[in-house]
Amino acid sequence: MMGLLALVVAMPIIVVMLSWLLPEHELWTHFSENLLSSLISSTGILLLGVGVGVTLLGTVLAYLVVMVEFPGRKWLEWALFLPFAIPAYVLAFVYLGVFDYSGYAQVWMREVLGLPGFDIRAGSWAIILTFLLVFYPYVYMMTRASFKRQKINMIEAGKLLGAGPFKVFFKISLPLARPAAAAGLLVTLMETLADFGVVSLFNYDTFTTAIYSAWGDFRSIEVAAQLASLLVLVAFFLIYFEKKARGQAKYYSANVSTIRPYHPKGSVAWLITLFVFGVFMLSFAMPMLQLVIWAWGAFADEWSANYIDLLISTSSLTIIAAMITVIIATMLALPGRCKRGSIWLKGMVRLATLGYALPGSVMAVGLLYGINQISVINIYFGGESINHIIYGSILLLLFAYVSRFMAIAYSSIDASAQQIKPVFTQTARLLGASRMRLIWQVYLPMMMPGILAGGLLVAVDVMKELPATYLLRPFGWDTLAIQTFELSAEGLFERAAVPALMMVAFGALIMMVFRYLDKKSSKAS
Amino acid sequence: MLAVKDLSVTYQNNKVLNGFNLNLKQGEIFALLGDSGSGKSSALRFIAGLDSTESGSIQLDGQQLSNHGKHQVSPEARGIGMVFQDYALFPHMTVEKNIAFGISKQPRIKQKKRIKELLTLIGLEGIERKYPHQLSGGEQQRVALARALAPSPKLLLLDEPFSSLDKNHRVQLVSQVRDILKQTNTTSILVTHNISEANTLADKVGKILKKRMTIK
Amino acid sequence: MNSKTWISTIIMLSVVWVSSMSAVQAASDESVTVYSSRKEHLIKPLFQAFTQDTGVKVKYLTGKGGALIERLKLEGVNTPADMFMTVDAGNLWYAGSQDLFQSVKTDTIKNNIPAHLRDPQGLWTGLSVRARTIVYSTDRVKPSELSTYADLALPKWKNRLCLRTSKKIYTKSLTASVIYNQGKDKAGDIISGWVNNLAATPNAKDSHVMNAILAGQCDVGLVNTYYYGRLIEKNPDLALKLFWANQKTTGVHVNISGAGVTKHASNVAGATRLLEWLSSDKAQTIYGSLNKEYPANQNVAADKVVSAWGVFKQDKMNLSQAGILQADAVKLMQIKGYR
Repeated sequence: MMGLLALVVAMPIIVVMLSWLLPEHELWTHFSENLLSSLISSTGILLLGVGVGVTLLGTVLAYLVVMVEFPGRKWLEWALFLPFAIPAYVLAFVYLGVFDYSGYAQVWMREVLGLPGFDIRAGSWAIILTFLLVFYPYVYMMTRASFKRQKINMIEAGKLLGAGPFKVFFKISLPLARPAAAAGLLVTLMETLADFGVVSLFNYDTFTTAIYSAWGDFRSIEVAAQLASLLVLVAFFLIYFEKKARGQAKYYSANVSTIRPYHPKGSVAWLITLFVFGVFMLSFAMPMLQLVIWAWGAFADEWSANYIDLLISTSSLTIIAAMITVIIATMLALPGRCKRGSIWLKGMVRLATLGYALPGSVMAVGLLYGINQISVINIYFGGESINHIIYGSILLLLFAYVSRFMAIAYSSIDASAQQIKPVFTQTARLLGASRMRLIWQVYLPMMMPGILAGGLLVAVDVMKELPATYLLRPFGWDTLAIQTFELSAEGLFERAAVPALMMVAFGALIMMVFRYLDKKSSKAS
Repeated sequence: MLAVKDLSVTYQNNKVLNGFNLNLKQGEIFALLGDSGSGKSSALRFIAGLDSTESGSIQLDGQQLSNHGKHQVSPEARGIGMVFQDYALFPHMTVEKNIAFGISKQPRIKQKKRIKELLTLIGLEGIERKYPHQLSGGEQQRVALARALAPSPKLLLLDEPFSSLDKNHRVQLVSQVRDILKQTNTTSILVTHNISEANTLADKVGKILKKRMTIK
Repeated sequence: MNSKTWISTIIMLSVVWVSSMSAVQAASDESVTVYSSRKEHLIKPLFQAFTQDTGVKVKYLTGKGGALIERLKLEGVNTPADMFMTVDAGNLWYAGSQDLFQSVKTDTIKNNIPAHLRDPQGLWTGLSVRARTIVYSTDRVKPSELSTYADLALPKWKNRLCLRTSKKIYTKSLTASVIYNQGKDKAGDIISGWVNNLAATPNAKDSHVMNAILAGQCDVGLVNTYYYGRLIEKNPDLALKLFWANQKTTGVHVNISGAGVTKHASNVAGATRLLEWLSSDKAQTIYGSLNKEYPANQNVAADKVVSAWGVFKQDKMNLSQAGILQADAVKLMQIKGYR
């Protein structure tokens, strides 16, 4: 039953894998002779740079806010989540506007400092930095939770043995936080692989570029799917390594400590504040300011009653999709499912969580083709086509969201399910609890932090999602992301800032709800 | 009251315990001593119905629970309580809710009364609304005991329940637990590797040596 | 409320929500449904005016050209779309080649739109014209230094050229026209020359190309005229001007936006009426001024900002060539390292 559910979620991915049944040699020859080697190396450099960067930045930030007391820590701890609310392509857009050759920052540098200008999009460093500032919250979020659960006496023991904060970080905290960091890293790398918005603004070629070229330029949906299936393969290995890192996870103490072991003095504390605040400025405050400046003048032109509709459809899609995804992910992650056939279930779940590495539009087309195939089979057996029922209906779009974002919901919820030791199940059974009671009263409440975090991540991602929404939405279901894209694609950046700001505000709202629920649930456990 | 016949335990294709037989009277406390890997915990888990093994039959209060290694009654329906090494209190429930978990089918008022009774018994009145993480190790231990006792189990199993406590606490708690078990007249089996613990708590002590259990 | 009733209430509510939302989409039969890759703010005023004139409502769905074509293909006979509207001749040609359009040949359209902007079989009709030509810094370049697209490949422009990314359809169609006019080998040399002369990584947008020239990163670039029109309308004094390329040879490369009635349209009459109306003087005036493009209807004068750039010689290449040669163009650019 659960395996079947996972199979349905995995359908678009399976369709993508099946594309190998229709080989196309000529285009492959062209790609492998002229594109592939450089694409693989540029994608590799990007993944490496972003991976190392987010792991360092995310863990260091999390360690600082959890273990060290410094001025402004309390609000910075939450402020560091805010970049989640900004879509990557919007951030990239603002950065280019400010730091490209014609941006204020470089103009100031040339005119006031007399330095030579440079092409910020040459090489890989600028795009790596951009991804770093967009995606560090994933690692930050996961490692922060893990640092909080670390036994304070372990840190105390380290301190007694004469280890300084650096040694404690590298010898005790970091190894303990490794599974959490790996989970955050996995999400980041899959997002980076699937990204199309940022790479096209920087005109940086990755594997996704080839996928779009096969589809858009050579009209070969087959080769596009074949290339995409290679991404799925990469994602598979990434998940494998993440599982390995997590395999050594220790059980955390349930005690959440609020004691901060380190209280640096004066200037050191302020230096830490400066660093953390600097990250917040670059990743959130500065881009927000730019958006506000753009939106200020254009608001009167751009605002209309239409925005009420955009808000309603964006929030409806966000909430419904997040709920469905979380419910399915929870069902798949519940401990002690069936004992036999668990290999088939494991395999299906693995497959169902690979969609995150696929670009949204590839996922969407995989879905359309999959449903078309079901219709073909149905007609063959004397039935009717289901295309007209499914195409252009909201169900299709929700399906795409669920398939695409299953990985983030599942990894977060599964991590919390892993922490339910078998002894809890055994205790409950010995006390006469039925399976239903076990689920509702033991598993779900204990998984709640993971469920909430998964729901938050999916909600924010659905809100920002562009390519699948653009292709699959029914009439009248335009979202803020689509409005932002349409205006900015025509170069109307000032007007595009209006829906972009609304998206950020909406994302911040989701985060506040999450913070409230998170506090409530962590009080109880 | 309890009769265990011809129980054996295999661990990684190695028979570690063979021909285990045990008879207990109502209210009798039995302690099972053995090194780690001697199969004592597995024997306990088989009696609880949690794990299976190739041979062994269990009769409790005249009812056949397991026969030749096969369980005929599921853990939920055995009326056996168990206290684990790390207590396994539900972290999201208050003390009150934890204790009430096994008696949720009873009317509210009866539940309240029972909780109060048990908290008095374990000497921890007034902590109903606290969460497990607000309690000390010894307190958590006693709450776990109260939870296991709440449904008045026919048999109580204790799996190394004192091993994560410090020494001073342990000595005090062991005799306290004995008093509680005797007051409630609960038939119990304790599994431990600590001889003095076993001697203090139990009426009868068995020791596993070379795959065989002998009762002193 | 405990968590169980909470969650089941939420599930119930969302099921009701989804089903009520899906019910809204049942279409009224009198309206025309349009799939458009032209952005919403450019088509909405037109459709509103059409509804005012005729009483016929228009429903539309915007999306990327290639994705909408895929959606049309898969929807087949069940498509709700009566009309498909897109930019770039290559896209129109491809939609036609995939049998997504039906032939519409009415006198009104024949009279309004010149033949070279229409499909010979009447599958699609051009509705606006845009030129892709040279833009230069008036501070650092004299118009006399400029001549053709191919000239920009010469070493004198080393580190002075800015281009838009090869992934954009307008670049592909321009390259297709270079291949058509000069042959594949010569075109390959020209592209290599361009790439060697680049002062920066190709930009994502035409507006970025113009910003780069204004900031001094490069001196010349290639843009669609309407992007220049929008910029210059806001800041008339910018040190930036258009130069009509290839005037002594093949003429400026032009492209179109256009539309056609879909093969499986359920409201053919309505869609035809909309297409005719879009080619009319009134619609063409709105169409051109909204986006600083040249009207396809020759009786309609271009917007003031646009007509100030003067008249120019157009490349007479049949626009379906842009579609036919597109794959070759992309391959060539990929081989020559034009990103």
